[in-house]
Amino acid sequence: MRKTVAITGIGVIAPNGCGRDEFWSNCLRGLAVAEEIPPHWNAYNTYNSRVWAPLQLPDWDQFSLNRAEKMQMDPVQLLSLACGEMALKDAGLKVTLRDEKKNTFSIEGIDAFRSGVFMGTGNGGLVSYTRAQATHVLAPVKKALDNMQNTCALPDSMPLEFSSRFNPFVVAMTMPNACSAVLSIKYGLAGPSITVSTACASGTSAIGQAYRAIASGEINTALAGGAEYLADPYGGIFRGFDTAGTLARGDGIASEASRPFDSKRTGFLFSAGGCAVLMMEDATQARARGAKVIAELVGYSENCDAFSIMGMSPEGDHVESMYNTLFDSSGFSAGQVDYINAHGTATLLNDEVESRIVERVFGSRPFINSTKSLIGHSIGAAGAIETAVTALSIESGKMHPSVNLTDPIRPLNFVVDKPCGYPITLALNQSFGFGGHSAGLLLKRPSPQ
Amino acid sequence: MLMDLPSDEQLLERVQNVAIEILKVKREEVTSGAKFIDDLGADSLDKVTLLMALEDEFKESISDEEAKELTTVGSTVDFIKRKIGGIKQ
Repeated sequence: MRKTVAITGIGVIAPNGCGRDEFWSNCLRGLAVAEEIPPHWNAYNTYNSRVWAPLQLPDWDQFSLNRAEKMQMDPVQLLSLACGEMALKDAGLKVTLRDEKKNTFSIEGIDAFRSGVFMGTGNGGLVSYTRAQATHVLAPVKKALDNMQNTCALPDSMPLEFSSRFNPFVVAMTMPNACSAVLSIKYGLAGPSITVSTACASGTSAIGQAYRAIASGEINTALAGGAEYLADPYGGIFRGFDTAGTLARGDGIASEASRPFDSKRTGFLFSAGGCAVLMMEDATQARARGAKVIAELVGYSENCDAFSIMGMSPEGDHVESMYNTLFDSSGFSAGQVDYINAHGTATLLNDEVESRIVERVFGSRPFINSTKSLIGHSIGAAGAIETAVTALSIESGKMHPSVNLTDPIRPLNFVVDKPCGYPITLALNQSFGFGGHSAGLLLKRPSPQ
Repeated sequence: MLMDLPSDEQLLERVQNVAIEILKVKREEVTSGAKFIDDLGADSLDKVTLLMALEDEFKESISDEEAKELTTVGSTVDFIKRKIGGIKQ
């Protein structure tokens, strides 16, 4: 028998806030975060896009992270640990120190062997690789320049920024699976430890895998989510997305650059990164320990359009097929969905296809918004952050506005201008990723206890 | 460097603090003559971590060649003293 899966804790760090309370209040007031890209990036290339959503990394000292961890982990792993810690705290779970030297903990009251970690990331610790490569290449270049005794020099606009030490932990910092592994190690979670990489759908896919593992009875507990960090010192990662022609141009006011489902959209707002981790449990376990259930997960499906590595199939049949599987397997129907947290990237193709299929399958009844209108697109973290938004929408009975939507491309029930209150019973979060991945999660208001 | 340099005692205490923080050993074990590997139980991973922490603590880079001489607490204090004092060997 399939078990009910409960979300009992949320940890989130995004461009518009750290921690669920700050993040959610800023979402509800429609705070859009965007600004000009760092000026020195312009020394290396002329970009089509001029804007991004920067991420203020938190003061790591507010979390259980020591100096060694901070030096030996990529921000994407530190974000995972920080959000995991917040999710556990939010779920009311207590931890005890397991190994002082390793700075690891045990979670009280859970079976560690039946507890897993499922994290999504598009690029893992890519920034750490770019940093190590900068040291590898630029240290001798700098030495050679210095030896020329000022007969030649780089302009001030092109600083040679690199660490003097080639970080000996670069392999562990770069490997994508470290996002999950660091959480498993930190909390001694000895069940499956899986990292999912389905580009922009990674976070949704990871939570979906966790849902399946708990619903099937394989495990009781999971930390699941997604993490991404793409702010390399020289803007090379930004350039990769920019040169692919995917990014919002941002010719006018930066905060108006991200325009999902608007006729004047020009692409997605590149986010420096973010992370969300959910504490997920067998609902029976959650209720037995008196945990507050934020929302239930009641369905998941995923597929691939098998079409193109960087372009969604314009027909969108695969999305409809994903819905069919989702509703057939969960026992719910499209007509029961009150709210859709859309993928809504603001690329021309995604929004055209997504809105057309949503209209065809759901009509114009469900409320719909795009969290990317506020914080841009954080790739592997996006689906996890948006699942957190969906759960918080159910819990609070409020949906955040989709900003910059002045001329919708289709007459859907968009939440615009201000937050919308509605007692959501069933909600859908969906994500689509480069490579053709589609993933959809159904969330439900908790059943009466 | 003309600014006030830390005393030998201050340097020893800071190196001891880093060793205690990274290796989780007791202060009384971290004597000047204590060897990181043989006496303080550091493995190769700990040694690298210790070097990175020392770089972070003293805001000085330590080359792989220089790292070879940092076998004891005392030799590390001497090295740091030379390094931040600007005395080249």
